[in-house]
Amino acid sequence: MSAADALAVRRPRMVSSRFLRSELRLIFRRRRNLAGLLVLAGVPVLISVSVKLSGGSGGGPDFFSSITDNGLFVALASLTLELGLFLPLAVAVISGDSVAGEANIGTLRYLLTVPVQRSRMLAVKYAAIVIFSLVATFTVTGTGLVMGLALFGGGPMTLLSGTQTSFADGLLRVVAASIYLGLCIASLGAVGLFVSTLTEQPVAAMIAVVIFSTASFILDTIPQVAWLHPFLITHNWFTFGDLFRDPVAWHGVVHGTYVAAAYALVFWLAGWARLMAKDITS
Amino acid sequence: MNVFQHRPTLRWTVPLVVAAVLGAGGSAVGVIAATARDGLPHRSAPQLLVDVQKARLDGLSGTIVENADLGLPSLPGIASGGGGSGSGSSDMTSLVSGSHTMRLWYAGPNRMRVSLLGTLGESDLVRNGKDLWIWSSAKKSAVHRTVPTTGADRPDSLAAMSPMTPQRAADAALAALTPTTKVSVDGTAVVAGRSAYELLLRPRDSRSLVESVRIAVDAKTHVPTRVQVFADNASKPAIEVGFTSFDPSQPAASVFAFRVPPHTKVTQAGRPEIPGSPKVGAEQHQAHPRTGRRPGGEPRIVGKGWTSVVVAQVPPGATAGAGSLIRMLAVLPKVSGAWGSGVLLRSALFSAVLTHDGRVAVGAVRPGELYRALGRR
Repeated sequence: MSAADALAVRRPRMVSSRFLRSELRLIFRRRRNLAGLLVLAGVPVLISVSVKLSGGSGGGPDFFSSITDNGLFVALASLTLELGLFLPLAVAVISGDSVAGEANIGTLRYLLTVPVQRSRMLAVKYAAIVIFSLVATFTVTGTGLVMGLALFGGGPMTLLSGTQTSFADGLLRVVAASIYLGLCIASLGAVGLFVSTLTEQPVAAMIAVVIFSTASFILDTIPQVAWLHPFLITHNWFTFGDLFRDPVAWHGVVHGTYVAAAYALVFWLAGWARLMAKDITS
Repeated sequence: MNVFQHRPTLRWTVPLVVAAVLGAGGSAVGVIAATARDGLPHRSAPQLLVDVQKARLDGLSGTIVENADLGLPSLPGIASGGGGSGSGSSDMTSLVSGSHTMRLWYAGPNRMRVSLLGTLGESDLVRNGKDLWIWSSAKKSAVHRTVPTTGADRPDSLAAMSPMTPQRAADAALAALTPTTKVSVDGTAVVAGRSAYELLLRPRDSRSLVESVRIAVDAKTHVPTRVQVFADNASKPAIEVGFTSFDPSQPAASVFAFRVPPHTKVTQAGRPEIPGSPKVGAEQHQAHPRTGRRPGGEPRIVGKGWTSVVVAQVPPGATAGAGSLIRMLAVLPKVSGAWGSGVLLRSALFSAVLTHDGRVAVGAVRPGELYRALGRR
């Protein structure tokens, strides 16, 4: 590295967003990724229109019965539905593709001759995954809010505890829940980034990530392995509902953030350990 | 970096070490708290019992976690929670199995609130003066009752609370303290990060399915903060109710204010009912011998103490129309003997027999004792 640095005419700035910007361009200009975001946005549209057409006759999964009272619940109902498969799938596609995809089409070696340190490349790729996770979550929330407010209106929000809070407070809680869920699925993205360094087949990495999150969901429902539950990546995802209690029950959300940060750090380091030793041939 | 260049496999130790450190991060807090528990002055069992009787709190807010592992067979219609074990359900009837989290606020006998937290739902029981509200977020319904207020705003013992709070469970267990039980103080514990004495109750009768009951008594406030019921030959408690956070200060008044949100079904309940009338669990039911009841259709107690068996007559036609009950009974094993025949429900802590001629026998004993009780007419 030092030889390459000395040869460079202009030493690159320590902090430059150029690499990150090019990563983000790669992600958000791919047509398949935009189609994926469109699917994520489709669920709140589907929910709000079908509830509106049916006249909102109660029932349905969590948060559904409240949709007709307040449009904010369209966003929450959509997040609840998509958290099981669509959101993990979206982040699996992006993260599984991040290193393996470049290796597969043979651009990884050119990327590393730029010159860019491998650890920096991994850091930038993960930063792009985190940004995509937040964008994906807010695509769901944003579409849900627009559709919900247009079809059902806003107003004070009834919390799970039966107390009412102002619209602004309700909106703030929805945004907080979206950030929390964005960080949760971003931790799954770290797992994907690691798996992506193991293989040159992006599809294999994507499938592995979906298997990982689904296995985690399944283990979470088996009472015989209750000791394992606090360590599972998905265990605290649905505790975003605790933000809608009065007063807010922070414990689950704090634990969930800790677990997400721990998964992100451990799997990023595992990806680093793998990539530093890897022979990049393609 | 040099070390890593010579020994590339060493790099893998970095994520492994970080994983171990972060994984142990949560339990490290417990280790620090555990060292703080030494240095509690010795307290004998009678002293501790008096302390508990005298415990008075001005206010309290905390989180209670309840774990029930009764070893019940899975029955259709019971504990219809998300994962089939009743965990994470905010339905009050799901408490018999799985793990549940409750939040509790208390500011005197006339103001309290218990919230049963479901995954994305909540059931609340709010008492504010003479108003008692039961709210369910899943059903979007509220039940209102008018209840008589008890005396002045004098802070009372926690006794008048929801059935499954530690105080209530401990009171019921302490009421059963008769010569049938060995009572001792068995070391100390840390509950909700606070030092506590542990009161150990052991049935003298070895035929009881209850091996021991451990009650943790907070060292500062003398409020029971955890109750564990151990079944025979079990290392893990069959029932555990304990605080995971405990703050003995007056909660904000806004916590007890309940206003019915719009679009809610409101039911006005007729008969006033004090929340938390003593009904804790099967093992405590039989520990309160109900005397003065006339024999015949009323329940009768066979035996005494921990091994007493309640034998009762099921009113004819009680099971008619209850389709789920019929289905439930159909999956239970059939048993028969000199006493007759019926179906048997076994769990770690109690057994129950429903005979085909309409008698039911329940006790914290093995089925053999039930058959003996049924045989004694």
